[in-house]
Amino acid sequence: MISGHALISRLAPLLACLGLLGVWQVAALILSTDSFPTALEALRAIPSILGDKESLINILASIRRMAIGFGVAIMVSIPLGLMMGRSRGVASFFNPLLMVTYPVPKAALMPIIMLWLGVGEVAKILVIFLGVSLPVIYHSFQGAKAVEEKMLWSGAAMGLSAMQRMTRIVLPAALPEILTGCRTGLVLALITMVTSEMIARQSGAGNILFNSLDMGQYDTVYAMIIIIGAMGIGLDAAFEKLRSRLVRWSEPGFDIPLSFA
Amino acid sequence: MNARAVTSDVLLGIAPIALLIAVWQAIASFGYAPATLLPPPGVVLMRLAQQLTNTTFQHEIAATLFRLFAGFSIAVILGVTIGLIAAAIPAINAVVRPIVRVLAPLPKVALYPALLLLLGFGHESKITLVAADALFPILLSTYYGASMVEQKLIWSAMAAGTPRRQILFKVVLPAAVPSILTGCRIGLVISCIVVFLAEMITSTEGLGHLLVTAARTFQAVDMFVPLITISLLGLILNGLLQGLRSYLLRGFPEV
Amino acid sequence: MIEIDRVSHVFQTSGRQNHLALSEISLTIENGAFVSILGPSGCGKSTLLYIVGGFVSPTKGVAKVRGKAITGPGPDRGPVFQEFALFPWKSVLGNVAYGPRQQGVKHAEAEAQSRRLIEMVGLRGFEHFYPKELSGGMKQRVALARTLAYHPAVLLMDEPFGALDAHTRTRLQNDLLNIWERDRKTVLFVTHSVDEAVFLSDKVVVMTRSPGRIKQVVNINLARPRRRAELLLDPRYQKYVVEIERMIDDTSEDKLQP
Repeated sequence: MISGHALISRLAPLLACLGLLGVWQVAALILSTDSFPTALEALRAIPSILGDKESLINILASIRRMAIGFGVAIMVSIPLGLMMGRSRGVASFFNPLLMVTYPVPKAALMPIIMLWLGVGEVAKILVIFLGVSLPVIYHSFQGAKAVEEKMLWSGAAMGLSAMQRMTRIVLPAALPEILTGCRTGLVLALITMVTSEMIARQSGAGNILFNSLDMGQYDTVYAMIIIIGAMGIGLDAAFEKLRSRLVRWSEPGFDIPLSFA
Repeated sequence: MNARAVTSDVLLGIAPIALLIAVWQAIASFGYAPATLLPPPGVVLMRLAQQLTNTTFQHEIAATLFRLFAGFSIAVILGVTIGLIAAAIPAINAVVRPIVRVLAPLPKVALYPALLLLLGFGHESKITLVAADALFPILLSTYYGASMVEQKLIWSAMAAGTPRRQILFKVVLPAAVPSILTGCRIGLVISCIVVFLAEMITSTEGLGHLLVTAARTFQAVDMFVPLITISLLGLILNGLLQGLRSYLLRGFPEV
Repeated sequence: MIEIDRVSHVFQTSGRQNHLALSEISLTIENGAFVSILGPSGCGKSTLLYIVGGFVSPTKGVAKVRGKAITGPGPDRGPVFQEFALFPWKSVLGNVAYGPRQQGVKHAEAEAQSRRLIEMVGLRGFEHFYPKELSGGMKQRVALARTLAYHPAVLLMDEPFGALDAHTRTRLQNDLLNIWERDRKTVLFVTHSVDEAVFLSDKVVVMTRSPGRIKQVVNINLARPRRRAELLLDPRYQKYVVEIERMIDDTSEDKLQP
């Protein structure tokens, strides 16, 4: 039997959503301009977007690209970050490079990459890959660095080889931090995807957004915003559930990550 | 760390960047890519130097910087204020926390079209977007820093005669400064990124706008220049913030 | 000076369970007395100190200072904590001057007072150092100076030397007594070290383990000023230590079956 207190805190995010939508509704009614439809009008436009075959294909293609970019990124970034964390040489080599590329907006590379690679899938996936890599490398690095030396010594005394120590001690020990990086990376994947589509304007969710803006279909614009927003919140919530299940043994950290954008 | 270790670290650090530039130069010189797609580093640097002395370019930088600072400042003021109050008053916390949880993972850039509709295509929409994106890391780190303040510090101040209402400003805020500055650093990087991207999507001026214009006219060199400029700006601003941080945190133990 | 009247305190732990930390503590502490509260870990001695300090409100009973019930912290009862709790964003001088400034003392006068105190605790020359640049013993001296700066009538010391190495501890014990001799404030000193309690105090309050009750109050009839070298060889001192240690052993029986 969940107590009333716990029930409210479980529902709180939902209440917050409803509250925000409510504020939107009221503000739109007060402002009463064409360019600011009410929340209800926007919500009503959603089914037509999802029902439209072309739009749906676009959105699903976006998600697919995001998944591939994210997947490849973590496969590359986690090992790299772990190695950086345990080897000063590797860290000193890559660190400056990463620090220099950190402030560069990866989505801004879209035009350049498009220039080189054309407008195909590869260009978009590459940009997402670049965007996700950085936080994942960084957090894997930090997580691996923080692994207690004594834990590794115990492992070595038990006869574990260097590779085994990496996979059986460093990786699990750093997993909470790695997953925090992945969570940030996931949010960034979505943002990079949407932004690069807004810049490249070929296809995808970001493109739908700006097309409808150009064509004055304001309901659609706001409806897309809700859809993309829901994707972001949904992905984040799903990942957080996965994360807490995987690292149930770790100290309860701060539950809202310092998301990067 | 002795001098030798530092210099070898620095050399090791410059190595990949130098390597990258060398590879870049090699690709260009050996003709693996036409100059229209990948201009040699020398050409890009020269164009960069040229543009930096050009008043029109400087005007563009100014536009970008203005939006960046305006958005960042709003984010700092709002973020620190809300973070502190939420940490101090549980009732406010109960309201703020779920809202932040909902809004934080939302890609704020998706709101950009709405902002364009409501605020027009000028500075305001960009500044608002920057503020919205930079707000959350600052708010969260302020909240975190403020809630982690050592209880005994507060007790010591109270025993010394500090009235309850002054504790927030005299003890909690100073003690939270390290955390706040970390959040500001993230917020600053985000501000640089977001302002550039917003200008790329739609704008009539600014560094991002320059990149997109150059892309449309296939001027590869002029695409690299604004990109490098914003990166340099980001590095410089980050460096300044680090300097401020060192000064403000001279009493704090290393974190 | 301090009256503790049937004070009990219950903690709510995270598992929604109740933990009785203190049970029916009644104690009177005279003006100018140096009283130690001694007991095994978890006996609630720090909690008792915090109640007198006004940082914690007892769930039952009342604590009074100078006849008035304690409702909150104040400059009449100055704490010195084991963790030092110095303000890291202020220098030594800034920390010590905090109290006087809070009382409204003008900047120049507060600084002068603080310098005198900093010298008294043996840290002349360190005024502009930051806490992170100081050793543990130095930090505790600053903490002491900071509290003394606002002239509390009562000093509440919560295992102040617990985080220090043995050598620094004995030095600070000596210095504390020297400083205390000057104006003989009332001191409530929490410790788990028997010889520290006997060395420093006029009275030792021995507590049982959780839930904490007063097992016995022992009057320490040793002349002042007390010198460590003499006392260590003094049979009366040794007798106190042995007897009180036996009391503690009794109270902290770990129910480990043989």
